[in-house]
Amino acid sequence: MKPLRVIAFSCLIFLSLFIVTIIASSSLFTSPSALASAILSDEIIFAISLTLFTATISTAGALALAIPAAYALAQANFPGKSIVDTFIDIPIALPPVALGTALLIFFTNTPLGVFINNSVIKFVFELPGIILAQFTVVSVLAVRLLKPVFESIDPRYVMIARTLGDSELRAFFRVTLPLAKGGLLGAAVLTWARALGEFGATVTLAGATRFKTETLSIAMFLSLAVADLEKAMAIILILLALTVATLLVTRRLFYRRSMI
Amino acid sequence: MRPRTVIVLLAGVIIGALVTTPLYLTPASPSKSITVFAGAAAAPVYSEAAELFKNKYGVKVELRLGGSGSVLSAMKIAKTGDLYIPGSPEYLLEAAKSNIIDISSVKKLTYLVPAIIVQKGNPHNIRSLEDLTRPGLRVGIADPSSVCVGLYAKELLEKNGLWESVKSNIVVNAQSCEATAALIPTGAVDVIIGWHVFEDWYPDKAERIWVEPSKVPKIGYIAGAVSVFAEDKALAGKFLDFLASEDVAEIWAKYGYYASEQEARQHAPNAAIEDLT
Repeated sequence: MKPLRVIAFSCLIFLSLFIVTIIASSSLFTSPSALASAILSDEIIFAISLTLFTATISTAGALALAIPAAYALAQANFPGKSIVDTFIDIPIALPPVALGTALLIFFTNTPLGVFINNSVIKFVFELPGIILAQFTVVSVLAVRLLKPVFESIDPRYVMIARTLGDSELRAFFRVTLPLAKGGLLGAAVLTWARALGEFGATVTLAGATRFKTETLSIAMFLSLAVADLEKAMAIILILLALTVATLLVTRRLFYRRSMI
Repeated sequence: MRPRTVIVLLAGVIIGALVTTPLYLTPASPSKSITVFAGAAAAPVYSEAAELFKNKYGVKVELRLGGSGSVLSAMKIAKTGDLYIPGSPEYLLEAAKSNIIDISSVKKLTYLVPAIIVQKGNPHNIRSLEDLTRPGLRVGIADPSSVCVGLYAKELLEKNGLWESVKSNIVVNAQSCEATAALIPTGAVDVIIGWHVFEDWYPDKAERIWVEPSKVPKIGYIAGAVSVFAEDKALAGKFLDFLASEDVAEIWAKYGYYASEQEARQHAPNAAIEDLT
């Protein structure tokens, strides 16, 4: 075999084995019975449904903003574009705990934040705080994932649609979006998966209160904190199952056009 | 899998999430409530005590759990919370310094005795503090400069003239109480010096070896205090008193903690108990 091939395949095999091994080792500290009792407990059922609920809403919100924003970044040229592009990267580089802390400071120490938190929606230590924390972390990620999708679409298709009489908006919905479908879906799934496991920003803004702001990742954190390793590992396996199921289902569904 | 099946599955997930929404969107009960920011290690005790308190006095207790330092940061930033109960008392000093708590309201809730903790079955046959000097043994303690139980471990060794000889066996300085305790069930080290209650945290994996009682210089404790942000300081104080009362003593005992000084003194009759003030 050619050397490049050997190196490439070795790296791929190493990475796959690496991921499988570390994930499989988390099952060492749990047992089928611990897993079953964890899944059937009220606490975990609550955490699963809260996690699905918040991740779905935050992903929908993130995509609603990220699709037009990524389109603008990919297709248009405007003054200050590179600055905006850089700003959007900042939340990706920052640790989520820092984002959560910044959100907490905003809503409790600035006049605008305090007004919103007291009179519009209560975010601090409440359920909407989970959604906002996830949104903050995943929205910029969605922009990052979507920008190359829109960049890869040949602008000539849109131009042809325009010459055939479509308005700009109509061309976007009739040409650009359908062409971007595979990439959009891939970005949506990754965004949702990232929201599913979000922890740092959530625990800082929404706090860790059982049966209130207890998402799966917070449930895992609380289990570790009370030294319940079996439960913590059971939760990891549940998160893992959710993620794998989502990725597999989406992949099957959009096999040919998929970019995931 | 056919697309239709997938759509049905996805729809099921979404409907499931929506149907169960009332579970977590139920409005907060209109009656009185207090908010406690607490170190998560003793959370099972606080949860049970909160339930008992609600049944007895009709006051809802909301627990915000986490590392003792991180929940203190949250209180500082958000300027909120009625009670602060960190896992170890030095955080109360920290909180008093930043004017988050009223130091005169500090109340001791439970007592902790330093002990040797090993893997279940004691595979290295450790019987005393002196055994920790054995060459090749992997010893873990909490970081003495930042974690309370680490400071107690260091002092225990120093007072018995063993610090210098055990030091070379120490392979890790854990960064929290919980991380120290987890060194045993994960097999990261052979032996740790921790709190006696670590055995009760991992009953199937850990075993406690008591230090000879006369050799224990100091007993630790968990204490709480009323926050300056508490709107109803009397009510907050009431829950703090409740945690130290006979009603909750049983719950402390259930999780292996000593609710009274006398119980802890069985294992350390001459030990000092350091006051914050």
